[in-house]
Amino acid sequence: MNRIEEKMQELTARGEKALITYVTAGLPDLTRTGELIRAQEAAGIDVIELGIPFSDPIADGPVIQNASFQSIQNGTTLRKVFVLMEELRAGGCEVPIVFMMYYNTILHYGVQAFADKCAAAGVDGLIVPDLPLEEQGELQEALAGREETILLQLVSPVSGERIPKILGQARGYVYCVSAMGVTGQGGNFHKNIKNYLESVRAQSKIPVMMGFGIRTAADIEPLRESIDGAIVGSYFIQLLEKNDFRPETAAEYVRGFKADMAAWK
Amino acid sequence: MNEKAYYGEFGGQYVAETLMKTLEELDAAYEEAIHDPKFLEEYNYYLKEYVGRETPLYLAERLSEKYGTKIYLKREDLNHTGAHKINNVIGQILLAKRMGKTKVIAETGAGQHGVATATGAALFGMECTVYMGSEDIERQKLNVFRMELLGAKVVPVVSGSNTLKDATNEAIRTWAKTAEDTFYIIGSAVGPYPYPKMVKEFQSCISREAKRQFYEKEGRLPDVVMACVGGGSNSIGTFADFIDEPGVELIGVEAAGEGIETGRHASAMAEGQAGVLHGMRSYLLQDEDGNVQLAHSISAGLDYPGVGPEHAYLKKTGRAQYVSITDSEAMDALAELCKLEGIIPAIESAHALAYAFKKAQTMTPEQSIVLCLSGRGDKDVNTIVDYFAGKGYLN
Repeated sequence: MNRIEEKMQELTARGEKALITYVTAGLPDLTRTGELIRAQEAAGIDVIELGIPFSDPIADGPVIQNASFQSIQNGTTLRKVFVLMEELRAGGCEVPIVFMMYYNTILHYGVQAFADKCAAAGVDGLIVPDLPLEEQGELQEALAGREETILLQLVSPVSGERIPKILGQARGYVYCVSAMGVTGQGGNFHKNIKNYLESVRAQSKIPVMMGFGIRTAADIEPLRESIDGAIVGSYFIQLLEKNDFRPETAAEYVRGFKADMAAWK
Repeated sequence: MNEKAYYGEFGGQYVAETLMKTLEELDAAYEEAIHDPKFLEEYNYYLKEYVGRETPLYLAERLSEKYGTKIYLKREDLNHTGAHKINNVIGQILLAKRMGKTKVIAETGAGQHGVATATGAALFGMECTVYMGSEDIERQKLNVFRMELLGAKVVPVVSGSNTLKDATNEAIRTWAKTAEDTFYIIGSAVGPYPYPKMVKEFQSCISREAKRQFYEKEGRLPDVVMACVGGGSNSIGTFADFIDEPGVELIGVEAAGEGIETGRHASAMAEGQAGVLHGMRSYLLQDEDGNVQLAHSISAGLDYPGVGPEHAYLKKTGRAQYVSITDSEAMDALAELCKLEGIIPAIESAHALAYAFKKAQTMTPEQSIVLCLSGRGDKDVNTIVDYFAGKGYLN
């Protein structure tokens, strides 16, 4: 079974909400990225989304754009992140890891070679924000027939009648974008957020995660009945930036957020 | 895969899920408009009365004599605002109005598309915001002032390389946030479907007129049709009505900057590597890690790392040929057109001219080239002065 799906089952069985964080790989360097991942795993993170930096991140707001830019300046490449993945897995890291990346990086690597490498390196899932359902054929074909790596699906507040089509293919969890536009618009969720989340949840067989603009558990508490978990990206990166990317900061944040969600019960 | 979004393997809709519905609505509205005689009547009215079409197809006699074949110039430089860009802006802004949008946004590099959009927005009373890289704002102050004079808001983009590519990213991001009341006017034959199709349609007046005008003068089809290619809007408009005429040779001229071999160029076709940028799959300049590489050209309008997907298809199928011209070749051609014909062309258009001079020498005096003179050189005067003074240049 896929590592993400296994984790989702486990959480559902325990009636526990998921916390998913996003960090851009290579910030401040790849060694620290590895340490941040291990620290979060120890602190009880459920899934980690690892951003593969790209020169033109059109779905991202200023924080992740800047993180991406810095990381490229630091020399981060997809090949080096694969090496990090192999080291992490060889070192016993078992937390589900999702690559969040743009399609050009995959095309450039070679779609089949990329899919094969993901499976070998222990990449459990992929989120490709510029690859809507209609354009996923090539990548799905390359991923097909194995369990190691799955393509996660995104839905937006205006997906409407597209939702059943998108969910038809979906595995792992469904990423519900909380607002129109880009990542990191701190707490400004779409005006119909609750109805939208509930509609997705009613139609989905897999857990529903909310992302874009979430900072703390308090931000999503009013929506706790409508989601199965939260994804924090821009805010998490800013927090790490302010704290010299200390693994302890990441661990504290994860523990705090998970405890806050557990206290809702 | 949405088959209609593709030209062979190129094109598509590589955008966030948030924009898929918007693109679907846009395509439906466009198809409805383009088949509505009233819409076309209004579009053609503004092209004639406001833009000043049709533009002449001028036989450049002294050039023809010098290079040994007939060179006809399609004078898009005589349009209002000084280039072909306005043809497309009028079309898209009328569509925006029809869709009930009250705001338009645009990206701009050198500022020509920004000025055209600001002009259209003023004409139709729409709120206009233009995204422009902070580097470009610095080097194109006059166009920034023009846009502001026309009532547009110019937003500096500080991200990535701070140029056109980044301004386009920012326009796409803003559009994803505001599509409900905002129409994104893309300036070139690029972007996700249906943009390449729309821009081609709104620029195809160039070839429609040129074909008829050439018939009137020569009673046949031209031998060669050529235009410069950045994103590819004037060229796709110039090719449009000739694509199904197999006897007509189509040539697109990209910018070789300081030379393809130096790596400092803007010729996406020359490297022949496909990629995804700005919602489309096409040829794309990129580095060994798949990051988009900066383009280089003395001409800001050709300074783009990608190219429209239909051009990629025309290249792949061999229907059109794509060549490139260096900065210095283009500047020599620019000077020559000034001296021999009394026309100061845009540096973009001078790239096509430079290749026409080479091509003409392989042709006979009875044969003809139709060349799109896409814009006038007024906007480039500072760059031209600096170049000929040997001071290097701004881009």
